[in-house]
Amino acid sequence: MSDFRRFIAKRLTVSALLTLVSVTIIFFVLRLLPGSPFETLITTGNLSPEQAEEVFALYGLDKPLWQQYLVYLKNLLTFQFGYSILQSRPVWAILGPKLANTLILLVPALVTTAVVSTAVGMYAGWNRGSTAETTSIAVTTFLRSTPVFITAIFLLIAFSYTLGWVPAFGMRRVTATPNGLLDTYLSIDFLHHYLLPFTVTVLYYSGDFLLLARNGVVEKKGSEFLKLHRAKGLTENEQLVRAGRNSLLPVVTYFALRLGMIFQGLILLEVVFGWDGIGRALVLAIEQQDYPLVQAAVFIMALAVIVMNLVSDVLCAYLDPTVTANGGAA
Amino acid sequence: MSTGSISLRERITSRTEHIWSHLRFLAGDRLACAGLITLGVFVFLGVTGPTIAPYHPIEDYVRTAQGDIVRLSAPSMDTPLGTTEYGKDVLSQFLAGAQPTLIVGLLGGVGTGALGFLVGLVSGYFGGWVDELLMRLTDLTFSLPFMPMALLLLTFITPNVWLITAIIISFLWKMPARVVRSEVLSTRERTFVKSARASGASHLRTMFLHIAPNVLPIGFLYTAYGVAWAIAAQASLAFLGFGDPTTTSWGRMLRMVFESGTIRIAWWWVLPPAIAIAAVTTSVFFIGRAYEEMINPEIQNQ
Repeated sequence: MSDFRRFIAKRLTVSALLTLVSVTIIFFVLRLLPGSPFETLITTGNLSPEQAEEVFALYGLDKPLWQQYLVYLKNLLTFQFGYSILQSRPVWAILGPKLANTLILLVPALVTTAVVSTAVGMYAGWNRGSTAETTSIAVTTFLRSTPVFITAIFLLIAFSYTLGWVPAFGMRRVTATPNGLLDTYLSIDFLHHYLLPFTVTVLYYSGDFLLLARNGVVEKKGSEFLKLHRAKGLTENEQLVRAGRNSLLPVVTYFALRLGMIFQGLILLEVVFGWDGIGRALVLAIEQQDYPLVQAAVFIMALAVIVMNLVSDVLCAYLDPTVTANGGAA
Repeated sequence: MSTGSISLRERITSRTEHIWSHLRFLAGDRLACAGLITLGVFVFLGVTGPTIAPYHPIEDYVRTAQGDIVRLSAPSMDTPLGTTEYGKDVLSQFLAGAQPTLIVGLLGGVGTGALGFLVGLVSGYFGGWVDELLMRLTDLTFSLPFMPMALLLLTFITPNVWLITAIIISFLWKMPARVVRSEVLSTRERTFVKSARASGASHLRTMFLHIAPNVLPIGFLYTAYGVAWAIAAQASLAFLGFGDPTTTSWGRMLRMVFESGTIRIAWWWVLPPAIAIAAVTTSVFFIGRAYEEMINPEIQNQ
């Protein structure tokens, strides 16, 4: 157990350091690049030099860079993201609901694709060389290699523009004014808008899970323990369940990794579908040079990756003792 | 010295034969074969596209005999792929748009493969603090989200093809680096490497002449994937409006049709670039898959 503890301690330290370095890079990239949202206001005469100085002081932009950096670190680590420059509202009040919108789309979709694609992948690996295997691999290869917004455009053309089954844009009807959580996420109208983005997400991520599961089962197929099971007289399906169970480790760790990276992967999806999530908010904020918003959104995305990386490593070490035995080098 | 050069020549010959046998294998796999043909067409378009395009993709307007600009017309005899909302010829844009896609894909892929291969090789071969440092660096590039960081950089620096390629490489090299490193770790322990070291081969020689050839296949594989990733990344950036504003690329065409709000009607404008990008990235992956089956004995032995 001490090996395991040492492993955890090492990964925790590394993750903390990574977070620090990432936020530092984000800070300096944002500050050292030219241009600020105030410049346009000043040059167009909407903001007099005195007013500009007041605003600068308000946002702490008149202090030396290192002081700004320290304040920024302190604020980020206490999750105080400051005020949006253009919307004059706390960043968290803007990003919070958008984060919820993103998660409500991504998490169910990722879970669905992980379960379904893994099952299909195991079946495909078990029936190596069958038409089912070749077809499923060809289809998912297409889905995972094509940029997600292109798959989205194909489906939009088919199901929205041509057949008119689902709406093409947004999360709900323009006139809808939902009250409360239930009304927001459980109405028929929402479901109607949800279907297509959900399907695209499921399809886009199906390939990786399918291949992992399939390769796992293929590798296990010739192994000794399956020979034993066959000798014991288990049916094909019972054998497959046992082979599948033993090849789940990469699937589980990959799921954790994917969950961390998913915010960034679906920026495009949110833009295409007009889904009011954090990715779309980030693109808009970058276009409007709304630094505090950009900073917070990028920070959340980076943090998600680091945390889920850690979770994946720990899961992997927990489920497979040989990982900690070699110091977690691999 | 002479023995050394002969063995080197032999090594090169056996390597070329090896590569030929790989290509023959790929041609035997139906999907990979289709992929190779698609890529061939793509490279051809990328090289000749701008010269065979009937109109200039950005400057020329398609006009009627009366001189009116033809906006948003469906495919016809004069314009086989129709015209855009802005009165440009879709076919010309499509042909010209292959070039930046090819450049970014090829350079981005090769750059990703080469940089990742080197980092993985050095990291795995030397181990110790070198390994620790390089692997933490890959961790860092994993945790800095690619899309947001790329968008940020591209808002402040005017995008051009080379800059986009550089950004893509600087974020993608981590993938091959990790895989190559773990391959090197197992190769390093094999007897022929130890005997090379024992007979006095330098670190550089051992790394590049004894270890590198054995991990080269996986390097090639990730170079291929790198090409697909680079094309996808470039198209995505262009679609979000962060592409090179002076050239036409397939991603930019999709951006224009989406932005103009005519995506609902103008299928002739949407489908060519969308299908082309999907076809190219999928082809690369089909070839990669077949190649992976070939070089991964654990999957192959059945």
